[in-house]
Amino acid sequence: MAEDNYKAVLEQQNSEYKEAYGFTEKVEYAHITKKGLTEDTVREISKIKEEPEWMLEKRLQGYRVFMSKPTPMWGGDLSGINYDDIYYYMKPGGTKTDSWDKVPDDIKRTFDKLGIPEAERKFFSGAEAQFDSEVVYHHVREDLERQGVIFTDTDTAVKKYPEIMKKYFGTIIPPSDNKFAALNTAVWSGGSFIYVPKGVKVAMPLQAYFRINAEKAGQFERTLIIADEGAEVVYIEGCFVAGTEIVTEEGLKPIEEVKVGDRVFTHARRYRTVYHTQVRPHTGKLYSIKYDGDTTAVIKATDEHPFLVARRKKQEYTNVKWETEWVRADQLKKSDYLAIPIDNTTKTADYREFPIRMRTRWKTESIQLTLNTDADFFRLIGYYLSGGRITSVKGDSYLTFTFNKNEIDCVLDTATLLERYFGKKPLVQKVYKNGISIVLCSTLAARFFKQQFGKGAKNKRIPLWALNERTEKQKELIVGMWRGDGSFMNKDYDYGNKKMFRINTISEVLAKQLKSILLRMHIFSSVNTQKRTGNRNTMYCVYIGGDNVVRFANLMGTLTTSSIDTGNTKMLVSLENVITTSSRTRIFENYAFVPITEITSETVENLPVYNFSVEEDESYVAGGVAVHNCTAPIYMSSSLHSAVVELVAHKNSSIRYITIQNWSKNVYNLVTQRAFAYDGARVSWIDGNIGSRLNMKYPSVYLKGEGASGEVLSIAVAGEGQTQDSGGKIYHLAPNTTSKIVSKSVSKGTGVASYRGLLYISKDAANVKSNVRCDALLLDETAKTNTYPYMQVYRDDATITHEATVGKIGEEQLFYLMSRGMSEDDAIATIVLGFIEDLAKVLPMEYSIELKRLIKLDTSNSVG
Amino acid sequence: MQLEIKELYVTTQEGKEIVNGVNLKINSGEFHVIMGPNGSGKTTLAKAIMGYPSLKIVKGDVLVDGQSIKDMTADKRARLGLFMQFQNPVEIEGVGFVNFLRAAKESVTGNTTDIKQFMGEIRSYTEKLAITNGIVGRSLNHGFSGGEKKKAEVLQMAVLKPKIAILDEPDSGLDIDAVKFVANNVNEIAKAQEMGLLVITHYNRILSYMNPQFVHIMAEGKIIAEGGTELIERLEKEGYDSFLNGKRK
Repeated sequence: MAEDNYKAVLEQQNSEYKEAYGFTEKVEYAHITKKGLTEDTVREISKIKEEPEWMLEKRLQGYRVFMSKPTPMWGGDLSGINYDDIYYYMKPGGTKTDSWDKVPDDIKRTFDKLGIPEAERKFFSGAEAQFDSEVVYHHVREDLERQGVIFTDTDTAVKKYPEIMKKYFGTIIPPSDNKFAALNTAVWSGGSFIYVPKGVKVAMPLQAYFRINAEKAGQFERTLIIADEGAEVVYIEGCFVAGTEIVTEEGLKPIEEVKVGDRVFTHARRYRTVYHTQVRPHTGKLYSIKYDGDTTAVIKATDEHPFLVARRKKQEYTNVKWETEWVRADQLKKSDYLAIPIDNTTKTADYREFPIRMRTRWKTESIQLTLNTDADFFRLIGYYLSGGRITSVKGDSYLTFTFNKNEIDCVLDTATLLERYFGKKPLVQKVYKNGISIVLCSTLAARFFKQQFGKGAKNKRIPLWALNERTEKQKELIVGMWRGDGSFMNKDYDYGNKKMFRINTISEVLAKQLKSILLRMHIFSSVNTQKRTGNRNTMYCVYIGGDNVVRFANLMGTLTTSSIDTGNTKMLVSLENVITTSSRTRIFENYAFVPITEITSETVENLPVYNFSVEEDESYVAGGVAVHNCTAPIYMSSSLHSAVVELVAHKNSSIRYITIQNWSKNVYNLVTQRAFAYDGARVSWIDGNIGSRLNMKYPSVYLKGEGASGEVLSIAVAGEGQTQDSGGKIYHLAPNTTSKIVSKSVSKGTGVASYRGLLYISKDAANVKSNVRCDALLLDETAKTNTYPYMQVYRDDATITHEATVGKIGEEQLFYLMSRGMSEDDAIATIVLGFIEDLAKVLPMEYSIELKRLIKLDTSNSVG
Repeated sequence: MQLEIKELYVTTQEGKEIVNGVNLKINSGEFHVIMGPNGSGKTTLAKAIMGYPSLKIVKGDVLVDGQSIKDMTADKRARLGLFMQFQNPVEIEGVGFVNFLRAAKESVTGNTTDIKQFMGEIRSYTEKLAITNGIVGRSLNHGFSGGEKKKAEVLQMAVLKPKIAILDEPDSGLDIDAVKFVANNVNEIAKAQEMGLLVITHYNRILSYMNPQFVHIMAEGKIIAEGGTELIERLEKEGYDSFLNGKRK
């Protein structure tokens, strides 16, 4: 039912979105710092940051240039920028008051489109979703540090590496270069600093994320990357996060191992595909959250990470309806309930085939074992999980089950089941130390249990097919386990009598799996650990208490007057009379709600944190509870983003810089990116421009050394009201240098996409080779595209090719795809993606997927 | 499923009359053929049935199981179970053939497909149709030879499993061996899937390898004769003129 409602809501939102799409509204924002730019503002920024004198001087220099230079009259209409109406610097933490109401409508609609219902969208402004993972933290940091790589934020770099900073900062792009580079120099904050020493090749791309809630002044970030001789590095600007256990289709997985393509369980109680993964350093608060019902679970999250919770309106109220909302970690309260989505995935089969690997003296072969996996079989699984073990003698394996001598019913049941499923009579052994064992001499059966359910009590687990079976069958598994390893506690405490069922295991995985199976049956259990004396393994106890006791007893068929087998003794209990305590946990419409028991926080520095993005639902289940992933569209509350990125590629080094910007459509994105490439160095800018109102960005490469090469690959999508003015600049200043510019643009409606490029070949640059190609695709009659290729060539031995094409989506193409069942939106997106395919495939896989997804979102509803 | 064309009049956007009152009923499992000289309106009829946006239905209706579909877009018609094999399928660069077909299949069935299973299905048909492996890694129809294009259309039909398929000149541009090969495969697939077939051709050679139950002769936008395979024989002997003259009589 909940699923149906959810779908209906989504459908409605989708249609509303379709109607409303295409308008770009201007939105005002509330901030807490003062607006406008004066010399005092610049001094204040420098002072707050406790910067050295030389940096203040740079800033003031930038300020003066900014004030003296006129606003450029080309590229796009910049008259909409009111410099007095901008917050140039915000103190960290000052933006947490941002609320959903202030999110621009087009971003809200994007969320509708992404399938995120109203309640979840409330949490949009804090889009970082981060988890820590100590292990990977050390791994990454030590790994890089050992090689001498420096990767930190630029503010920290000014303090920690003054010599390098003084040497390079503002030398590639001096303040005098252009008005916006000057502005950035005056007010910059944040950004990344990377130094890769001689000969070091950083294998994994280094990534950074421009934080959505104004991190805390991310609009003017400053990035400087230096690759020393022979070094190699790839840097990606994007969105990031970090590590805890994630519920995936293949079972629990640590967050750092989650890959693109994995299917994870979302808050909407279904599996969706991961399309993007990220990691980045986090400096700030880290919250530890514990909740009722699982003392083994601690969730660590950054302050802004959104959790799905239900809140009581007033402390004394009992919730009748459980309405969920997304709440950031730093705003969670002890009275809040965290939501645990219950996984009801059901895949049932009467018969299943299992390939069993058998090793004989001569060879290893695989035998297909076909089993009737019915309810009784599941009870046998339960017996194995509690009291089964595998022993091998001289190459033959035996399957042994041990029960308490009083549990004669279980012994007989097991014996009957073994014979039924494996066609062999087991041997019942004599009572030994109060225990009675039955043994099946079947290597095949032993292998089956070993391969499917684990060998050794600590490694026992339930495979996916059994986790997803019908609850009628799973019930029998619980019955089997309970008969073997269960007990009933009936203890008097100071505060009263406590009754609970308990199943013990030393396998942590199994304990958690039992908990999730019980949840499918709407029985809430708690997992607690018991440290035991000596070398004995930690015991994981699955407790079923409170009013869950009755449900569990019903399930086990142990009704009011029947006896409850506790192993050594039998006792009669009348459950209905004794269960007076109610559980603190509630199950409502396939979600369990657990109260938070403890929230603590600590401050961390440069802790790598992980995140990934999930199709449609944009959420996942971490540490048992539903959390939001890093929201896909990058949203900024200010209207001006003016970054400066400087790259220095020393002799024979290589730098590849990848950006995919999806700024909100009220943003002016005026970024200056420039690289110096010395002898034999290679620099590559890969630029995806999807968002912003006006984007002016022409990454450039100065080929200063012989044999250097530069490349600019850009993709721009100009939707309604957008101007994408982008391209690239290459300066050939030395002999035998090569360059390549490839630009692909898509425009629709009132969108304008322009290529603006410069190719400069100095008189010193002999034997230059350069290749420029720009292709434009128009989605409708009104869309516009322009090409402004400038060339200044002072040599006659240069080989230059220049190609430009303009295409239109044809009716024939659309009709063809639609006649195959694709909707018009899908058909357009398919054609657009085909158009950019050769550039998209240059990107790392997950970025290629992200880019395609954004483009698909952006080009839909484009016609009609 | 039943497809019914009722007193259908179709013009271009500019008002040029092309189809002038066609009546036709096709059920799943039946095999119809429309023959007619070039310019008789056969392809326009097919496109109108499939919902080509710049054709105007000025009169009459197209019905599927009694429900009018004439206001539906092409994708909706495809989801009902209609399919059209194009005479000259368009080329779309950068769109992978397999990805396209998978997306199409998911659109038509409304279900997600398992990629492994899907690749298995594709492979079984590519083998059957003797489509060289090359097609799988390539862009949609991009750089396909004439024969590859036709086979790729048949492959799409096999995978999308329509209830009624319209094949527009499935033999044009094929050499004689290929004609026979394509015809045999279409026969087999249509039979296995109990598909209704409407083959459009101006030339009888593919029909020597196929056994239509119903033959319609079309000229000047109208069906001028209907019957069984005897019409094909007559056409072979006497040409379209005899029908036209007959009509005029």
